[in-house]
This record gives sequence, C-alpha cells and structure tokens, in this order.
Amino acid sequence: MSFVARLLRREDLHSLAAPYALDALERAERRRFETHLSTCEVCAAEVRALTEDAVRLAWSTAAPPPAALRERVLSAVRTTPQESAGVPARARAPQLPPHVWGNQAPPRGRSVRRPLFVPFATATAAAALVVASLFAVQANEARDDLAAQRARASEIANVLGAPDARASTGEDAKGRRIGVVASASEGRAVVTLSGYGEPPGGRVRQLWLMRPGAQPRSLGLFDGDTPLIASGLDTSSTSLAVTVEPGGGSPQPTSQPIVQLALKSVGFGE
Amino acid sequence: MDADELLVLVAGGDQKAFEDLYGLVSGPVYGLVRRVVRDPAQSEEVAQEVLLELWRSAARFDPRRGSALSWVLTLAHRRAVDRVRSARAAGEREQREALRSGQPAFDHVAEEVEAGLEREWVRRCLERLTALQRQSVTLAYYDGYTYREVAERLSLPLGTVKTRMRDGLTQLRKCLGGVA
Ligand SMILES: [Zn+2]
Repeated sequence: MSFVARLLRREDLHSLAAPYALDALERAERRRFETHLSTCEVCAAEVRALTEDAVRLAWSTAAPPPAALRERVLSAVRTTPQESAGVPARARAPQLPPHVWGNQAPPRGRSVRRPLFVPFATATAAAALVVASLFAVQANEARDDLAAQRARASEIANVLGAPDARASTGEDAKGRRIGVVASASEGRAVVTLSGYGEPPGGRVRQLWLMRPGAQPRSLGLFDGDTPLIASGLDTSSTSLAVTVEPGGGSPQPTSQPIVQLALKSVGFGE
Repeated sequence: MDADELLVLVAGGDQKAFEDLYGLVSGPVYGLVRRVVRDPAQSEEVAQEVLLELWRSAARFDPRRGSALSWVLTLAHRRAVDRVRSARAAGEREQREALRSGQPAFDHVAEEVEAGLEREWVRRCLERLTALQRQSVTLAYYDGYTYREVAERLSLPLGTVKTRMRDGLTQLRKCLGGVA
C-alpha cells in the first residue's frame, strides 16, 4: 500500500469516533477502530467525550425492569464466579467495550457529566412545564448574567433531582397553568406559571406560602416565565398562592389570589 | 453509596453491594435495552446478561477513568445493539421490503414519550438538532443501525452521516450540559 493510501486509510479511521461512540460500526470495523484507538490519542479523547454524550441518550430511556428479573440475576450471582483484575485482556469475555480508551488518563479534575434528573422523577405535565421554563432560562442566557443563570438552573436541577421530588400542576378555565415540583426533604419547590402574560401597569406577580393559622409568607416575585425557587417550606405548608401586586411586591397580599395550588399532593401539609 | 463505589466493592465479591448496584442500574439498563431491542422477552434476556456481566467483570472498572454509570450503560448498549442486529440479520428480507415500500425512517421526536424530566429534557434537545443530525443519532443509538445502514436509509453519503453523528452529539452536549 502506498504512503498516501495508508494516510487516507488512517484519515478514514479518525472519522469513526462518533459512529463508534454510538455503537454504529460493524463488528470488523469496530475491532479495527479499537486497535486504532490504542495508538491514536486524538480519537481516544474524542471517543471518551462522545461516549459521555451518548450515555445521556441512554438515561432518558430508563424503565422499571420486570420484578422477576431481580431474583433471577441475584440467584445467578451467587453461583457465578468473577473474573479477577489480573486476567489478561485477551482471556476475558470477548467484545467487551473497553472502559478505558487509549493509554493516557483523562485530564485530572475532569467533571463527569451526570444526568440532570433522577430517572424515575414523577412524570407529569408540571415536569414538562418546568423543563420548558428552564429552556427559556437557557435562551435568555445571552441577555442576563450567565453565572447567575447557571447557579439558578443548577439549584432548580437540585430540587428536581431530589429523591422525593414530586410534581403537581393546576390549570384554570382559561388554560393558564401553575406547575410545582417540590421536595419535602429539601423544603424547596420550583414554581412556574404559564399563560398569564405580563401583568399590566408595571405590576408584578408575587408567590405566597399559605399556612393554617399564620400570615401568608412571601416566597418571591416572578420574573416573566422564569421558574421561581421557593425555599424554607416546612411540612405545615398547605398551599401556594399567586397575587398581582404593585411593582416591587408587597409585605402582605393586597388582592385575591389569581391562582392557588394545594401542596398536599407534593408531600406537604400532612 | 454511588454506583462507582458499589462497583469497586462488587469487584471484591461483595454480593450485598451488587444488590444495591442492581437497585441503581437495573432501571436504566433495562430501559435502554428495551428501547433498542423492543421485544420484551428478548430485552429481559439481554438485560439479565448485562447485569450478570457486571458481576463477572466488575474488576475491569477503574473509577479514576470515568463514571460507573457510563461504563454500565455503554456495556448495556453494546449488548442490545448486538442482539438487535442478529435479529435483524435473520429478518433482513422483510427489512428490505419495508425500505422499498418507502416507509420513512423512524423519527423518535415524533414518538409519544412518557414525560419524565430527563426524558423531556433530552427530547427537547433532540428537537433542537437538525433533522439529519437527529435521525443520524437516533437511528444509530436507539434503533441499533450501523452508520452504513443509516446512510442507506437517509440516502446520504457515508461521510455526511459520520459528520452529522458527530455534530449531533456535540450539539446535544451543549444543550444537555446547559445547566449541569
Ligand atoms: Zn485517530
């Protein structure tokens, strides 16, 4: 083979990182590329990054396995011997995807991308509403302070990812909606409004925490469609209410709530 | 304890740690296999093989090199794809018939998905890709087609498909990483 042909062949191999990360190579090609990976640090690095991306696609497919599977696997484990770490690669089960690509360790301090949300988070319209709002947050990043937006977004992700996060949504006759995802253990909730438009005359929408036998407590002002993070909720909290208030907000509500949502379904007020 | 720590214990033969690991990864593993393989009985079989393989090969996992969950899901995906390709090879004639009848390539965004949060997020990010990026990525990842098959289905040159896959994954990273 001529030098140029060899070069072209190698050039060709370099372009297989994405198909490899997606498991989109035929067996023979896969093996050829894995051989290449052990000598090409560029492809190895690319495959590491692209594989993390592909895995994000996997997370969103999580589904509860059949109950019988657990017992079958666990009893099989009791009688199945393990490979030891010292067994040479060739003696191991064939076709195992290599855990490590290439010879160099990834850069130190590399953050491992993890899914934003726990896979079994409550599936409701409210969840979709919150995600839609997060997208609005992302789209506005150019306008607003990036760091602040990211901090808020990751705070939201924390509430959404809490193991006891639950979601609820309410809709009025005009199709205006309030959505809440709350975690009782964190005492926090993410609240979104949609379909309400901008309040007239420089007025604002204010969120209140309602508790029996206590004054409503302000949880903050809504800024457009951006989700509002309410913290300091305790188990005595029974509902959330939204009122329209003069610019800057009020110490106590000055008007009837435009919408109210009970918190019982998301683990509060019990 | 997270999956990384558990997998290290599992490598040492700790069966209790394996039970905990099962709790963490069986849902993602089964869901992914099911998505690719489709058939429930076959999916269960493949998921079982994968989970047992975790037990057998846990020693191969090196926590300094990447997350356990990535490793586990990469393994599950590889196994699912291998299975769906053998099944497809067996029924290849039907496949060609379907192609000839002009059935459009399956576009996952159009599919009604149950709206979990991560799911919803991924769906929206997929929507943001160009149609060719999205189809190149999902036909390969969710349907187990090789990039040659993807090129054939989308009537695109091989080089274009490879590029669309790479661009698609890179765009996804930007979108999914937005708030991580
Ligand atoms: Zn290379």
